[in-house]
Amino acid sequence: MSAGAAPDLAPAPPKNITPVVVRLKLSLLLGGLRRSGGRRAAYVASAVVALLFAVGQLLGFVLLRDQAHIASVAVLGTAGLALGWAVMPLFFPSGDETLDATRLVMLPLRPLPLVRALLVASLVGIGPLFTVLVLVGCVVAVAHGAVAYAVAVVAVVLALLGCVALARAVAAANVRLLTSRKGRDLAVLSGLVVAVGAQLVNFGAQRLGSSGLERLDPVADVLRWVPPASAVSAVDSADAGSYGAAVVQLVLAAAAVAALLGLWARSLTRLMTSPDASTLQSPDAAVRERTRGGGLARLLPAGRTGTVMERSLRYVWRDPKTKAAWVTSLAIGLIVPVFNALQGTGSPYFACFAAGMLGVQMYNQFGQDTSAFWMVALTISSPRDAYVELRGRALALLLVTLPYATLVSVVTAALLDDWARLPEVLGLSFALLGGMLATGAWTSARFPYSIPQEGYKNVAPGQAGLAWIAVFGGMVSAAVLCSPVIALTIWTNVSADGGAFGPLLLPVGAVYGAAITRLGLRLAAPRTAARLPEILAAVSKG
Amino acid sequence: MGTAAVRVQGLWKRFGQQTAVAGIDLELPAGKFVGLVGPNGAGKTTTLSMVTGLLRPDQGSVEVAGHDVWRDPVAVKARIGVLPEGLRLFERLSGRELLSYSGRLRGLAGAEVDRRATQLLDVLDLAGAQHKLVVDYSTGMRKKIGLAAALLHNPEVLFLDEPFEGVDPVSAQTIRGVLERYTASGATVVFSSHVMELVESLCDWVAVMAAGRIRAHGPLAEVRGQAATLQQAFLELVGARGRDTGSDLEWLGGGAR
Repeated sequence: MSAGAAPDLAPAPPKNITPVVVRLKLSLLLGGLRRSGGRRAAYVASAVVALLFAVGQLLGFVLLRDQAHIASVAVLGTAGLALGWAVMPLFFPSGDETLDATRLVMLPLRPLPLVRALLVASLVGIGPLFTVLVLVGCVVAVAHGAVAYAVAVVAVVLALLGCVALARAVAAANVRLLTSRKGRDLAVLSGLVVAVGAQLVNFGAQRLGSSGLERLDPVADVLRWVPPASAVSAVDSADAGSYGAAVVQLVLAAAAVAALLGLWARSLTRLMTSPDASTLQSPDAAVRERTRGGGLARLLPAGRTGTVMERSLRYVWRDPKTKAAWVTSLAIGLIVPVFNALQGTGSPYFACFAAGMLGVQMYNQFGQDTSAFWMVALTISSPRDAYVELRGRALALLLVTLPYATLVSVVTAALLDDWARLPEVLGLSFALLGGMLATGAWTSARFPYSIPQEGYKNVAPGQAGLAWIAVFGGMVSAAVLCSPVIALTIWTNVSADGGAFGPLLLPVGAVYGAAITRLGLRLAAPRTAARLPEILAAVSKG
Repeated sequence: MGTAAVRVQGLWKRFGQQTAVAGIDLELPAGKFVGLVGPNGAGKTTTLSMVTGLLRPDQGSVEVAGHDVWRDPVAVKARIGVLPEGLRLFERLSGRELLSYSGRLRGLAGAEVDRRATQLLDVLDLAGAQHKLVVDYSTGMRKKIGLAAALLHNPEVLFLDEPFEGVDPVSAQTIRGVLERYTASGATVVFSSHVMELVESLCDWVAVMAAGRIRAHGPLAEVRGQAATLQQAFLELVGARGRDTGSDLEWLGGGAR
């Protein structure tokens, strides 16, 4: 660069940065895919699945357009889509790096061109394409005349912009959260949201299938006026000739887009002009993190037992991986028996699901500790120590599981109005729980494996076989251990004079469960004490 | 004094093809500040893990305070405090909860644990962060809370693996002060490091490790011998002398570009 060109050294900010940002997004996408073949395959597979789903949904809407309640379905579909866009950045924060505008903070950019550029960039990708296909399906389902189709074009654009602006506004408002430790904790819970959400959707769909779509109408009547679903409903209104309503609904949708963009621009400006204070220690932060389980400690037994129980219970609440596993177990353990009972397809025996799902948490106890297990290992010097350690963990689990399994059994029995079977269901649950605690303790000592703390994996690479043996082998063994109680239950039900013994199954199951738990802990303790270095090595790979 | 705090005989450890520790015989004197020095990969962490019972040796025996680590864990585990390197803590506990947990697991009474924890948190300058979760601690704070947990039950021998790695100067000085006070009362500290200046200023007894073997051991002055600094003596011991980059990289630095 010659001295004569000095005045040109500082280039003027580019007039239009939109193409640059769109290219940046595409480069980031391709760069991410280039990193590994697995990622590429996963991306292509998820794209194909999403597009197939969207196309199928589009075809479905086209075929069902003359159904009575299709307008409600379209409105609800749009609202669901918007909800998805709002929640996605919170649970899958790493998906789009351009979402984190603080990465652009060193560039000389004005807020408005930046908002425009980022908005256009947001429209690139599978997500927006999927959304367009679904939205087109929704409007095609309700539009019949030329006017309605004209409104539909505006509606799709407004609804799409609404979804994207919503996602961007939520992400920008929470970017500090998303880049912090708490945000990463939240991301670990996302698998759980998907798992439990899928269960709920499944049961909801079954319920709708059995009782008809008119149940949707009251909800849809409200959502018709909530953007961006109001845009889709405007098509329906125009089709029905109520042009006033259609205009109001479109204006609502447009106003929402404008408001969201304004909100987004404001938080962007604030983000890019204020310093990152996330590493500063605020004096009251310490107070906020103050122990919540303080009162609990006083109720627990003294000594190692109480100490171990307290630590285990705190981890259920505070450790994202443990929390995700527990909430999944609690939710599925409740959903399966109760929803089945609600649909009339249930059986009181399904309540054993609660005990079974929670019993799984006893497996791989030391893997849940990660390499922090060394602190435990250094304080176990005899089989007795190991026994108290394992018993403390089992007691912590029982503290939640026993009341929960009982509650689920009672609720299921109440819904089915089958109180006669409650004692044997409880007995079976307790026996099953005992079997799982026993095998869980033993496999924790014999087949420990690492649980990686970051990401969605629950098994460290190379230990999948070990985890499989531990969990599935353990579950089969637990079922075998419970077989006497299972056989007894079957006998009371099939034998002519067995019915009278039904209530006896409760104490029998409880005692049997307690006995095999004790036996399992007794067998697991010497193994644990003898294999401390090996267990530590196995759980330190994450 | 004069008795051995730690006695190691014929200690071996192999990981697959690689020999991490190749036959160590060593007696560490009680009541001293003992430094285990060596380059990265010398086998320091492997040795300390085997000495503290966290890793099973392929061969050899270890005695701490006269008790065999593998045959008499009850006697040994109550007498040692450990701060390992590269292993996690229970990071979803707050600093105070971690101390309370660790102390109670070791069988101390609750009130006594609380009293000692309060003092340790104060001395180590962690009182302000005691209710923060350890996962949000900085490296220096983690080392300090780990040290507090290792000291809580007043062990006879303290094993610290790279206690100053990644620690800021202020925290390092705090840790140093606590350790000096602890050894002054007759307890033994064994710590590993690859920072020679630190070892030279802290220790009165050193063992030099390289490639899984002990190259020299004894009082600091003896090991240093004629060399000006421990660093010089160490480089000679591990055979790293003569690797001066005399003729290479002559283009590097000021002058002609």
